[in-house]
Amino acid sequence: MSNLLVLTTASGCHFQSHPSCGYPAPTIEDFFFKPIFSIGGFQFTKPILLMLLSAAIVLAVFWMAFRKPKLVPRGIQNVGELGILAVRDQILRPQLGSKGDRYLPFLVSLFFFIWLMNLWELIPVAQFPATSKFAFPVGLTLVVWVTYMFIGMKNQGPIGYFKNMAVPPGAPWWILPLLSPIELLSNIIVRPFTLSIRLMANMLSGHLLLLVFSIASWYLFSATIGLLFAAVSFIVFLLVFVLEVLITLLQAFIFTTLTAFYISDALEPAH
Amino acid sequence: MPREGTGWAIVSYLIGGMLLYGGIGWLVGRWTHIEALTGVGIVLGIGLSLALIIFRFTRPSR
Repeated sequence: MSNLLVLTTASGCHFQSHPSCGYPAPTIEDFFFKPIFSIGGFQFTKPILLMLLSAAIVLAVFWMAFRKPKLVPRGIQNVGELGILAVRDQILRPQLGSKGDRYLPFLVSLFFFIWLMNLWELIPVAQFPATSKFAFPVGLTLVVWVTYMFIGMKNQGPIGYFKNMAVPPGAPWWILPLLSPIELLSNIIVRPFTLSIRLMANMLSGHLLLLVFSIASWYLFSATIGLLFAAVSFIVFLLVFVLEVLITLLQAFIFTTLTAFYISDALEPAH
Repeated sequence: MPREGTGWAIVSYLIGGMLLYGGIGWLVGRWTHIEALTGVGIVLGIGLSLALIIFRFTRPSR
């Protein structure tokens, strides 16, 4: 539970219950946690715990599913196959075709890891999307960036990769000095930047929306006209909650789809 | 049919163009003390990004 939510509910501050009782709006402070423990200068906080949990769950589920794979899948192997096939047919194949199947393990782990990290936002007790801490999207993006740069240089040669990147097909030669820098900047810097910002900003805003309406429902809950507004606020909270279920999935999907797109761009020059 | 990532690629070209030529405009503007050059650079950057997007995405794919 967020610090603020604990504070608000503990103080019992309600609408018109006390002259100094204002609406305790969520702030950026809600995204910083007291360390659970610290080793030297390293502080182990709740987002790190959630991240490790996500990794452990993804590992455990897929290990259990394919520990003794059977030709006719039973039980959890069904779930594992369903997940892998979904990533393959919805994300990998449309971008890379069947020749991209060797990247399936990477994309599957990326997708489920991100999805779980997002999903903590909606799970009681956890109630915090680990991906709304900028360091996690940045770390994931670095992995993706190194991967597609490496694939590009391996498949097209170190010089060929940058040459194919810098020269858009069909552009007249005299405009190239003006266009090539844009292409290089957008491929090398803007792409990873937008990839990480998109994930972080979506999860951060979703968490803020949930905070605003859940705190409002609690704050307005009193024997005044506020009760009416509390009810409305709670309904909006539920609607936002349903929307966030969709967004956690969508953001994981977009991140993985774009990874596949960048890999396919690195495999073959200029589509 | 355009692939799913195309839209996002276009967005990153637009941002890249604005950043690059807006940045150059800003630098030149600082040097010459003409503040309007930042705006000129951004508009020029959008124009060039659009040209780049047209070259990149309107040709039939090989």
